[in-house]
Amino acid sequence: MADATLPIVPEATPAKAWPTPHRSAGRSLLLTLPMALFTLLLITPGLRQPGLAMHLAALVSWAFMIVLFYLMIKTMETYRWRRIFFVALGFLFPIGFIWDLIALRSSMSIPMERMLSGDTPFCFMVIPMTIIPAALTRTIIFPGSILPTASNPHSIAAMVALWILATIILGKAWCSYGCFFGGLDEGFSSIRKKALIRKIDPKWRLAPWAMLVAIVLLSAATYEPTYCMWLCPFKAVTEFIAVRNVETAIQFGIFAALFVGLVVVLPILTKRRTQCGFFCPFGAFQSIFNRTSVFDVRIQHEKCGGCVLCQNKCPTLALDKESISQGKAHNSCMRCGACVDVCRKHLAVWHIKGTPVGASPERARLLGLYAAWAFAAMFGGSTIANTLHKLFGLMM
Amino acid sequence: MKRLSSILGIAAAVLTVAFAVVTPFIWSGAYNRLGAAMSNLRIDPVYTGGEPARTLERPGYQIVVYRPVPKRAFLSEAGAFVQIVWKPASALPAHVVEEIDVDGDGRPDLVASFDVPRDPRAGLRLSVKPLDSRFQALNGIGKESFSALIARVNDTIVVRVPER
Repeated sequence: MADATLPIVPEATPAKAWPTPHRSAGRSLLLTLPMALFTLLLITPGLRQPGLAMHLAALVSWAFMIVLFYLMIKTMETYRWRRIFFVALGFLFPIGFIWDLIALRSSMSIPMERMLSGDTPFCFMVIPMTIIPAALTRTIIFPGSILPTASNPHSIAAMVALWILATIILGKAWCSYGCFFGGLDEGFSSIRKKALIRKIDPKWRLAPWAMLVAIVLLSAATYEPTYCMWLCPFKAVTEFIAVRNVETAIQFGIFAALFVGLVVVLPILTKRRTQCGFFCPFGAFQSIFNRTSVFDVRIQHEKCGGCVLCQNKCPTLALDKESISQGKAHNSCMRCGACVDVCRKHLAVWHIKGTPVGASPERARLLGLYAAWAFAAMFGGSTIANTLHKLFGLMM
Repeated sequence: MKRLSSILGIAAAVLTVAFAVVTPFIWSGAYNRLGAAMSNLRIDPVYTGGEPARTLERPGYQIVVYRPVPKRAFLSEAGAFVQIVWKPASALPAHVVEEIDVDGDGRPDLVASFDVPRDPRAGLRLSVKPLDSRFQALNGIGKESFSALIARVNDTIVVRVPER
């Protein structure tokens, strides 16, 4: 049985595997060197701080990022190595976050007092929900602070600025390199070798758009970040409003059920990123910026034998018969690289907009990778280092 | 034309890489500038309590009376309320009973009463006797909702009295 979920097109011609290219070790090291130096610069503040645990955490995180980058360069594969980083980020972020919460207030729930004092960390997921109320009434419907404070470094301006920078660099690839929640989804979807649920209606790809429209309108109508209050599965592994009445108990029940269903069970059963691909409104919002990103993935469909391996491998149903025949992925493509790596004929290729398709796909991949990995090292690498620091501190 | 678009595409890709590399070094400047640009925005008064209207001086402590916060959107659960803050909490007597003039017309509008336990983690209970019909009576409430509550925030006691 194929590892397939969308048996739209049967395998038309036996795909003759082309030899998998590899780069020489020396050339790979040379290409890794700029990233190694850049990330070394990033960890320098960590190395200046006292404590063996901090030094060890900084060095391990640096080595982790650089080894994975080297392997991406050497093997000329993206998905396999990126996934290791992304899953590590997905699992280590909640550990570090919950650790801080427990140390601070012995609980994962946000007491009302912290909301009143503007100490709630701002989450990028809130951004689409704040736009209409901010435009109409100059009011931000979130209990944070606009500029960072001693008690709340994750202020609204800091997180929005980070999102703007990430969006310029990554576009929708945010969902593959930046989002610390997506790593959980991807991790659980990698557990089984074969999917148990294979048939998924491709229309599910549109569900995040419906969710986005619904939560934006509801947030404008209620003046509350509706998704955060009622629907965010990741509240179950970060922080949630303290249960103090029936309403807040129902909210917590929804968070937990959605987390178990969408982030754990369904990804295991389908081998798809079900939360990211079929639910997340921020993912849909970020798809808009696929248009502005200079990098994309193309399918050289005129040479394609129609084996649909790329379609079957895509974690978000961004490829189907229609999109393959047009030579590009749907807008929900998060540039994870799964289709490019799985194509035996190397007809799914990285591409720079404006350039001929397939003319120099490795150049496109390398440039895209340098940009994405630089951001990943800055944002994800520091998150990984912070959690490792806590874990190493526990052991030393 | 194709050559020009190729050159532009590659130039944009190289610029993206350069931008990614400088991002860690410009982030703090970027959010400070963004914060300045956002200075005409405010956090929802349901969380901040709105704008302070005036301060009442008491021996050893102050009472800050805020401007009333109206009900926000038509589907909003948070109703209209007025916020009153006692500070510092550490200087308050063990039991507080205060007549508060909310609108500044020289006549008290409500009487708020609550105990101030010395343990900052201890729960608080608020009772309000309205002297003006626009305020609701409260009887020993804690943190019922954003428009009816008593909470210790840092070294202050925050009280919210719902309006009818």
